[in-house]
Amino acid sequence: MRLLKLLLPLLIAISFIALDARFSYLNSFRSSLSTLFTPIYFVVDLPNHIVEWVSDKGSKKAELISENEQLRNEMIELKVKLQTYNNLVLEIQKVNLLLNSSYTFPGYKAKLAQIKSISQTRLRKQIIINKGSNDGIRKLQIALSSDGVVGQVVQTNPFYSIVRLVNDPTLHVPVKSLKNGTRGVTKGVATREGGMIVEFLPIDFNASIGDIFVTSGIGSIYPSGYPVGRVVEFEKYANTEFLYIKLEPIVDMSQVEYILIISEE
Amino acid sequence: MTGKNDNLLLLKISLIALIVNAISLPQFIEIISPFWILIFYIYWLIYSKNKAAYIVALLLGLILDISQGDILGQNALALILSSAVILRVKKSFYVSNITTQQIYTLMASLVYLVALLITQITILGINFDWLILFAPITSSIIWPFVRFLLAKLKH
Repeated sequence: MRLLKLLLPLLIAISFIALDARFSYLNSFRSSLSTLFTPIYFVVDLPNHIVEWVSDKGSKKAELISENEQLRNEMIELKVKLQTYNNLVLEIQKVNLLLNSSYTFPGYKAKLAQIKSISQTRLRKQIIINKGSNDGIRKLQIALSSDGVVGQVVQTNPFYSIVRLVNDPTLHVPVKSLKNGTRGVTKGVATREGGMIVEFLPIDFNASIGDIFVTSGIGSIYPSGYPVGRVVEFEKYANTEFLYIKLEPIVDMSQVEYILIISEE
Repeated sequence: MTGKNDNLLLLKISLIALIVNAISLPQFIEIISPFWILIFYIYWLIYSKNKAAYIVALLLGLILDISQGDILGQNALALILSSAVILRVKKSFYVSNITTQQIYTLMASLVYLVALLITQITILGINFDWLILFAPITSSIIWPFVRFLLAKLKH
């Protein structure tokens, strides 16, 4: 009887592990239950809210006017840049059509979300954002910052979502070298040094420190062309067909406050 | 402890453990930080007369898995196995001095860590930061403080 008391919960736990790891049967269960934990994150985030509130109240009118002016100037500048960018996109689309390329620029819509906390656990690298399924955020959507790819939404509930970062060991992102278009797949490194390695790059790939890798668009999950990482180390090992290449994420999570969650239109 | 007090203490302990667990820490500290849910649970386990300790461990572990976005059942399995260790030494734990209690906590934390890593490696086949091996040590170091604070909470 005593053994049964131990074995039954053990078997239940193992079944949960098997069902969750191999199938997606428990996603809706997990999603609905995670809603219950919103107050916990609210409590954890409370000091930040208080600091923000106090700093908002303390802002002087002159500061706000000056900031407004600065933002207006930046907006005009960005609009000008956007025109150039739009022209470039049109040009690339024309070239893609001509080359019958697999890289496309489908229409994406984006939602702005604020990072509530960087919830890195021992075995996971992830963040929590203040937008959830009530705001249209869905699992597997992509998170971008102004610098590049942040990660992918892995769990949502009505009030918040969990985004797994590109340097998490379980996240794989199809990438290509900005230099010559050679394709590979990134995978996070779990050790303290962090970063990512690029798998499946041929041994004759001409790598150099500082090379940028961007999303390749293969697999249609990540849109093409967004920066993912910068080469910090590479090595050609004997008896292997692939190059060992290590990247550091382009996005410095300690400096990001807002991110865009994008989905296909 | 009466059944009602027992459940109330469990509720308080679970909430505090989940809040402490959700606080963002720098990565280095996060990796070596104690297994909060385990040490809070150990406290409840040694004072509780509840006979459904494993079921409680299962539920607490599942709650942690959901809140952290981990593989469902991963922390539950680790917590059940660790509570089996603590239940075996429960009577001795209750009357032992702090150092012996820390050794028991270290043993339970080691079981927790091994279960956690076996699941992680079996399912995802990934490497891990060796600093995680310090987590059982920090768990046992922090035990006297947690015990002191929870004793205040209990009263």
